[in-house]
Parts: sequence; structure tokens; C-alpha cells
Amino acid sequence: MRRRSALVLTFLLALTLPQAALAKGEFDPAEEWELHEWVPIHIGPLDLSINKAVAYLLLGALVSCVIGIVFMRVKIGGGPGRRQALGEQIYEIAQTQVAEQGLPTKAIGRWFPYVATLMVFIWTVNMLGFIPLPLSDEKVEIGGVEVPTLAIFAATSTISVTLALALMTWMFTHIEGIRANGVVGYFKSWIPDVPKAMYPLIIPLEILGQFMRLISLSVRLYANMLAGHMLILTFIGLIFVLENVFLAVVAVPAATAFYLFEVVIVVSIQAYIFAALSAIYIGSAIEPEH
Amino acid sequence: MSLSLLAAEAAGNVDAGKAIALALGIGLGSLGAGIGIGNIFGSMIQAVARQPELRGELQGIQWLGFALTEAVVFYGLIGGLLAYVLI
Repeated sequence: MRRRSALVLTFLLALTLPQAALAKGEFDPAEEWELHEWVPIHIGPLDLSINKAVAYLLLGALVSCVIGIVFMRVKIGGGPGRRQALGEQIYEIAQTQVAEQGLPTKAIGRWFPYVATLMVFIWTVNMLGFIPLPLSDEKVEIGGVEVPTLAIFAATSTISVTLALALMTWMFTHIEGIRANGVVGYFKSWIPDVPKAMYPLIIPLEILGQFMRLISLSVRLYANMLAGHMLILTFIGLIFVLENVFLAVVAVPAATAFYLFEVVIVVSIQAYIFAALSAIYIGSAIEPEH
Repeated sequence: MSLSLLAAEAAGNVDAGKAIALALGIGLGSLGAGIGIGNIFGSMIQAVARQPELRGELQGIQWLGFALTEAVVFYGLIGGLLAYVLI
């Protein structure tokens, strides 16, 4: 039974990428990031259409809610089972590694939920990006029924998603900074201890630095996920670009190695980094060093 | 050689130039990040060898440093891709 399911899985996996690439005749990895409208929703100038990235985001939100409820809410405290231990481990990482690294003690109560949610949500969306799911624009016929091919795509590999997440952190940083230190006190805390003559040089740099945070926070996550998917796609795609089956001997192990590297290390590290940096930014706005 | 062939050749060269520029940019960008990441893990090994009991506390900082350094490559990649698409 297990062998049969493994066979079916391999067959399905083999169907996904080659099918998509062969159908086109030529292979362009960038086409994976073209978003087509599935359910067009236009409100005035706003484009709220549901496309591939939105579907992945909704799924990610659902799965991260389920993770939170299953591991940390349902039947907790009876006897420490494996499920509860895992839930506690997630919570502990969020508390000791993320929140306590950046947030001052008085702000943990208010901002712990935000950074912990960021961590779980980004991890889930990243992880969903490496599980082949039937959510793609390509269609394949199986037994006369058109179904979407299995494909890997992460919502976090589109800049709009990561920019929205980064904007949220950025707004909260300034709101909390002003709330804790007052408008004048907060903006004064941007300026480091330097002689007054240096001010014309330092102040524009510091203001620019605040905007650079926004860019670095969003581009880091975006580019990491984009490059990971691009590498895997390109290695598999080499077989079809050069039209040589024997390349698979090199390309498939290389793609598998990159896949494992992404799943084991990058997915978790990026989720952790995004949450930890959010905590550090918010914490440093509440309690400036000088 | 006819004019259209010349134009085609020039277009081909532009693509080749773009490819070389992108590859060189990514390569040099990775060089810096490689050195940086090596430094971070080297220092981590030294620190843990000297004070093994600090491993837990250092690990968070280590991964933070790793991700911050690694991201530099991707700024290069995005810059390169932007240049590739725009020019």
C-alpha cells in the first residue's frame, strides 16, 4: 500500500514541471511569476482580484490559524503529549528567540502577538511554497477532466506581499515610537550623538536609513524566496532548454539539493529573521539607545 | 552583409553583454557575501569553543548575522535583474 502511494506520488511529481515546460516548447522561468486573474474583483481603481498569489496567501492564513489552534489551543494541559510539546517549542522560539531579543520588557505584552503571528504566518506561506499544490495557471487533462498542474509557488516570492508585511512593521514602529516618546522626543532619538556641524550630513542619512529599512526588510524575504524557486526551476528547465534527457542525471540531484536547502534552512531562517527584525525595530523605537 | 543581418547581430551581442554583466555582478556579489558568511560561522565556532555554555544565546545572533549578510547577494540579484529588464 505504501509502495503504491509512493509510486503515485512520483508519477504526479514527474507530471508537474516537465508537462508545464514541454507544453510551452520553450522554457522561461519568469512566466511562473506572471499572475493571471482568477476571480476579477475591481472596486474603482482598486484591483482586488484573486490570483495565484492571493490564493496561496489565503491558504497560508488558513493553515497558520489551524497550526495555532491545533498545537496551542485544543486539549492542552491533560498530559504533555508530542503535539503539546511541539506547540510549546514554537511558542518558546517566538518568545525567547524573537520577542525577548528585540522588545523591551514593558512592550512584550503588547507586541508579542504581532511578532509571533508574523513568524508563524511567514513560515507557513514559505513552506506552502515548497509543497507541490494544484494551484497554477497551467492545465492538464487527467481522464478527460481539466485540472491545474501541481506546481510550487510561494506568495512571499512576489514583492507586493512582502512589501505589505514590511509596511505594517514600519508603520507600527513609528506609531509606537511616537506613542512612547512623543513626536519631538521620537524624531530627536533618530539623531545620533555627533557634533552639530555634522547635522546636515547625518540627518538626511538617518531619514534615508528609515526608508532603507522598509526596502531591506521586504526585499530580503522576496529575493530569498524568488531565488530559491528560480534555482530549482532553472535546473529542471535546463533539461528542456538543451533538449537532452541525460542532463537529468545532473540537473535533478542539483535541484533536489537546492530544494532541501531551501526547505530545511532558508524557509525557517527567513521567517525568524523577519519576525526578529520587526521586534528589534519596534523595540528600538520604544526605547531609543540615546 | 545586409543591414538587417547586422542589426540582428548587434541585438544578439547586446543580449550576450547583458548575460555577462548579470553573471559578473552576481558572481562578485556572492564573493563578498561568501567571505562575510564564512566570517560569521568562523567566529561562532571560536566563540563556542571558548565558552560552550553560551551556544544558545549566540545562536540567535549568528542566524541574524547570517541572514543580514546573505541578503546582500539578493540586493545584487534584484539590481541585476532590474538592469537586465530595463536596459
